[in-house]
Amino acid sequence: MTIDGVSVSKVLRPETVEELTESLKEKGAIVPVGAATQTYFGNPLRRADCAIDLTKLSRITTYNPADLTIHIQAGVTLGQLEHALMENNQFLPLDPWNGSGATLGGIVAADAQGPFRASGTIRDWIIGMTVVHADGRVSKTGGRVVKNVTGYDLARLYVGSLGTLAVIVEISLKLRARFAKTATAIAVCGSAGDARALIAAIRGCSVQPVSLEWIGTPNEVWVRFGEHPKAVEWQLKNLPTADWKMVEGPEESALWQQLRERYAGIGPALVRVVGLPSTVHEIIEEYRPAQWIAHALNGIVLMSVSNPGEIPRLRQRYRTIIERAPVEVRREIATFGLNDTEYELMKKMKATFDPQGRLNPGRHVDGERH
Amino acid sequence: MKKEVITRLQRILGAPAVTEDETDLLVYECDALTLFKNKPDVVVFPQTTEQVAQIVRVANEYRIPFVPRGAGTGLSGGAVAMEGGIIIELQRMNRILSIDAENRIAVVQPGVVNIHISQAAAPYGLYYAPDPSSQMACSIGGNVSENSGGPHCLKYGMTTSHILAIEAVTPQAEIIRLGNPAGEVIGMDLVGSIVGSEGTFVIVTEITVRLLQKPRAVKTLLASFHSIEACSQSVSDVIAAGIVPSALEFVDAKTIEAVEASVYKAGYPLDAAAALLIEVDGFEEGLAETSDAIVEICRRNGAYDVRVAKDDEERARLWLGRKGAFGAMGRISPDMVTMDAVIPRTRLPEVLAEISRISERYGLPVANVFHAGDGNIHPLILFDSRVPDQVERIFAMSDDIMKLCVGVGGSLSGEHGIGYEKKEYMDMVFTDTDLDVMMQVKRVFNPDGLLNPSKIFPSRRGCTEVGPHTTTSTAEIGKHVDAILRGTR
Repeated sequence: MTIDGVSVSKVLRPETVEELTESLKEKGAIVPVGAATQTYFGNPLRRADCAIDLTKLSRITTYNPADLTIHIQAGVTLGQLEHALMENNQFLPLDPWNGSGATLGGIVAADAQGPFRASGTIRDWIIGMTVVHADGRVSKTGGRVVKNVTGYDLARLYVGSLGTLAVIVEISLKLRARFAKTATAIAVCGSAGDARALIAAIRGCSVQPVSLEWIGTPNEVWVRFGEHPKAVEWQLKNLPTADWKMVEGPEESALWQQLRERYAGIGPALVRVVGLPSTVHEIIEEYRPAQWIAHALNGIVLMSVSNPGEIPRLRQRYRTIIERAPVEVRREIATFGLNDTEYELMKKMKATFDPQGRLNPGRHVDGERH
Repeated sequence: MKKEVITRLQRILGAPAVTEDETDLLVYECDALTLFKNKPDVVVFPQTTEQVAQIVRVANEYRIPFVPRGAGTGLSGGAVAMEGGIIIELQRMNRILSIDAENRIAVVQPGVVNIHISQAAAPYGLYYAPDPSSQMACSIGGNVSENSGGPHCLKYGMTTSHILAIEAVTPQAEIIRLGNPAGEVIGMDLVGSIVGSEGTFVIVTEITVRLLQKPRAVKTLLASFHSIEACSQSVSDVIAAGIVPSALEFVDAKTIEAVEASVYKAGYPLDAAAALLIEVDGFEEGLAETSDAIVEICRRNGAYDVRVAKDDEERARLWLGRKGAFGAMGRISPDMVTMDAVIPRTRLPEVLAEISRISERYGLPVANVFHAGDGNIHPLILFDSRVPDQVERIFAMSDDIMKLCVGVGGSLSGEHGIGYEKKEYMDMVFTDTDLDVMMQVKRVFNPDGLLNPSKIFPSRRGCTEVGPHTTTSTAEIGKHVDAILRGTR
């Protein structure tokens, strides 16, 4: 296994939490890894003595369909989860780009996201978590019920921490019933200005899409609804005038799968620019990326960067995360672009969780500044 | 409190914004949970973030504990100065700084009353979703500290899902800003870790909240049942059917009796053993079908009456009864303790039956009014504090109810927080390691423990919380309560 050019000679594949705890007794730098679908995300790994492959920890421990909760091990893949939920017509309302092969542990660690984020991201669906610490201690946060303010919500820290605080081993999630119907409308606009105006009109009218994407080039507007069938139909009918192509059923799923492929093709570097719904057009029109996917409801633009020098320039105006880039670029430019406050707090957090810096060295805050 | 400390505080804030007056201090000796009392030494009323930072600087210099406080409507003793010291009352920082309708966000100060945000956003067709029952009085800063809930959190999520960014004063008196108006996590969700930290990490001085579009249509139903089992079974069945109501609230006969005798009279059925207040919202199209499906589930479970509110006025009245229920208890009991716990929704029937047995065992009546849709129960223990031994009985009863809820896989609190009230129960749900890790994280923010001490962690850990230089002046009642809690464990 090689990550960021660092080859890991030893790979352990624990099958139980006990074995995982045992494996943390290994000396040196430890790299927790799931399905390895997002190893390109994060600051470059500095060293690795042993990888802990979590894909064998793939049990769904308890599924309570009537409570809409599920408790799983970190190695369960999104596809496996979706399959289990299907028979009860339930789902986890997320569609991370890295797809159904990704493990939930990996999705949590990387805070993986996709275009469907109307009901939040993975952090909003976690109700509890168990982690194994660098020193082998096992601790949990949250619980197994859908609403809970007992103790600090440490899951908020583990989400996005790229396995650098602790190794995620169990996750409890709340679920929701599948939408009775979803449908997508697509319009190809003549110019960025037209796309901008169409998006403004959609945001200003009475529809409430679950995804609203501005995709380029060319300038496409994708709007997705998920609701009671009558509400979906009403919204499709009440969209602002444009040359809409309506897609539903299996063709619709295929369409969003195609977008996933387009996402995968964005390069050579892909950044996530964090703006506001009102600044999405500024970002696109000012930086004129070759390819982009903008979450117009959230103010987030995923875009290609051909010259890495643009990233610091972008950061002067917008918070910008490197979502995917060759390791040479990530060696030069920090992934998160943390400000001083965030950097200091996260550094302290890292030091308290992993004082010896053994977990995924260099990947997160510890690789942020040189 | 040393005279020079008072002088320093007065110099920062002006004399009228600093009070040591014994009568004034009485107001701050407890929050809405009156079982736990301790007077602060001084209460200060800052109006700016800079003043908060200066106060914290003084507190650090003299090693005095300090506790942020909003409207004091909390129900776990979170805003009480259990170690004495300074209460930093943030009610005067109550400005709505901006509403950005296009981006659907509002920037507010911590003292802003929850409902005022929705009122200010209403002209834009927007509102702030989390709606604690105390929303007419509670402050947004308090909501952030406690990660408050409310009936509509069933569909829209708790406070934490609606907080995008904050400005805060750290216990080291630094002013920091975290998060971004898009609410995007960059690296780690530090904002999310602060929300719900019960005022033990930082003092939040400015909050950027998410606003939502008002639903186009709303339907509110009241379903009445002759049995509690049938009522709670309907809750489970609605959830299991995949319906996502915006609220699903349970009221029992005792609650109905109190509400109907009070100014919150809502027209609840006096002959019902229990009733459900159910709301669905979204688009007009399809809403009738969803509402019909709920009616069908309730009827199948034996509801003898299901009423759909005809208009906004009737809707408002049905909600008035629910939101006023806690206040209405005064009609049937001199005192009341509101409990808060969460259970898996499918376990409601058995848990309610057991609570009723516990109530009989201790001879203290319990009224049940709660957020059934997410299993967040609120048994209200009715008592008379003038009768000797009642407080002791409440603690023992509370102990049994917590054990019951945890025993079925539940948790200690759904929205009120652990605060001072439930810290001794933390061992029921967390191991030493779990608590050690939480304490480590607390120390990242609050290394000296001067900010809001004696909260959340069991008191056996208390000695490690506050530095040796602090003067701890825990009042007699606090010790008394601790003794009772330990004794019953």
